[in-house]
Amino acid sequence: MRYSYIRPKRKSVFTEEMQLMFLFFSITVCMLFLTYGFLLFKDYRYGVQKEEMQTQKEQINLEIEEMKTQITFMKQKQALGEKIFTQNSILKDSITNLFDLIPERITISEAKLLKNGLIFYGITPNKDVYNFMLQAPLRSIFHETYSSFYPYENGWLRFVSTNYIEEKEGMFDAD
Amino acid sequence: MLSRLFEALYQKVFVSIVLTRSGTLVYIEHCDSKKVLQNFEKKFHTTTFDHKIYDFIQEHISETPFYYITILDSSAQQGALPTCEAREMQLYVDMEANRSLCYNNQWSYYTSVEGLDLVQKEYKDLGLDFIFSPFCLLAKIYKDKLASQMCMFILLEDNFLSLSVFDENKLLFAQRLDMDHADENDDMMIDDEDELEFDLDASINLDEVNAMDDLGELEDFSDIEDLDTLDEIDEFDESIKPQENKKKLFDDMPVADEDGFNEDYQRFLLVKSAVHTFYNDDKYESKFVEHVYIADCVGVSDDLKRYIEEEMFLNPIIRKVDLMQELCDMAKEELR
Repeated sequence: MRYSYIRPKRKSVFTEEMQLMFLFFSITVCMLFLTYGFLLFKDYRYGVQKEEMQTQKEQINLEIEEMKTQITFMKQKQALGEKIFTQNSILKDSITNLFDLIPERITISEAKLLKNGLIFYGITPNKDVYNFMLQAPLRSIFHETYSSFYPYENGWLRFVSTNYIEEKEGMFDAD
Repeated sequence: MLSRLFEALYQKVFVSIVLTRSGTLVYIEHCDSKKVLQNFEKKFHTTTFDHKIYDFIQEHISETPFYYITILDSSAQQGALPTCEAREMQLYVDMEANRSLCYNNQWSYYTSVEGLDLVQKEYKDLGLDFIFSPFCLLAKIYKDKLASQMCMFILLEDNFLSLSVFDENKLLFAQRLDMDHADENDDMMIDDEDELEFDLDASINLDEVNAMDDLGELEDFSDIEDLDTLDEIDEFDESIKPQENKKKLFDDMPVADEDGFNEDYQRFLLVKSAVHTFYNDDKYESKFVEHVYIADCVGVSDDLKRYIEEEMFLNPIIRKVDLMQELCDMAKEELR
């Protein structure tokens, strides 16, 4: 039954202060969730980046391994090159020395360098000049020396000197 | 559902405000769902709403959103009517200027809309939840007696008396009596020849009885409690003239107030004038009242009871009532 002339005001726990407080807490919670979301996103991004970095690292490691292999190969090639250069130098010196052996009275028209030998084609005034001035040094260098002569038009002799060295002590390695 | 949960979590605070002549009484009750936890009462020496009252109430109601502020309507333009029909009510008061509520579909109480607006405007900083009529409060206090035959009910406040007469739940008469205008009423009564005669008749009849000369005549008054003692009867003296006798009666009244009238006697005069109106005004269905139930909210002395018994030959039954608490209980009842 109603006794009062007026009706009571509606009472609610959500007073202005409470509404303000709820707004404040809502903003705070919202900010917390946003921060949490941002951190989750960042964490995901970091995970993705980490995987990418891992893949890159593995790839770089592979490249490093490949490069190491290449370096090893290059070093071997360098060593080979150096060896070849040395051998070439030696060969050059040998050829220089070889041509130094040829006296002035004998003319070499052709020289063939074989793997284990040397063939000279040339003109000599006579056999003695050849035998004493060229064949003697060649014999000291090569194991086997063969010479053949045939007359030339002005009385000189053409010669073919074939010189071999044994395989085991050949000038060039099998490599 | 959610609001009930919140209500259970918070305490409820009921604030009762009652205006007196000298100030404002504020009563605050902190309750949980079952019992009263704390109560506070303070009197402020101002009859207008000021910051001290606001601060005192605010201190308590700030703890909970479930607070209810109740005030007892102190408008002078209020009353009760014996009908709930709007057409019939219009015969008694202008219902456009008044707001009324029906009590149990038997009778209604009303107050002026202007008064309600004024009090709500005065307390707008707090916001009033309930404005109760003293007639409704009186009916609630004596709800078990309303069905009795021809009883008068009076709510005694510091500044007002709310008087109503019921006969088997039927309201016969109701009047709001202002203590501030008691002197004027009293003057009117004294000036009025008939009233004076009415006033003196009761005294003269008693005065003319000489207990010492004719004790046998006293047997007729054996049912009147206050005439049982011969000492009191001895005080009446034939030689004293009626005017002097009236003066002597006033002299016998306990501690007089500043205006020279005892407050209880003022209240008695107001009651007497109201009863006189009830008996003599043709508007009201006049029946003889036997019992007077008085809800005493101010702490009257036994004098009032004695005046009513001696002067009006009624049987007063006084009940001490905590007005503030009753208002709180009424607010609680209305919230249910």
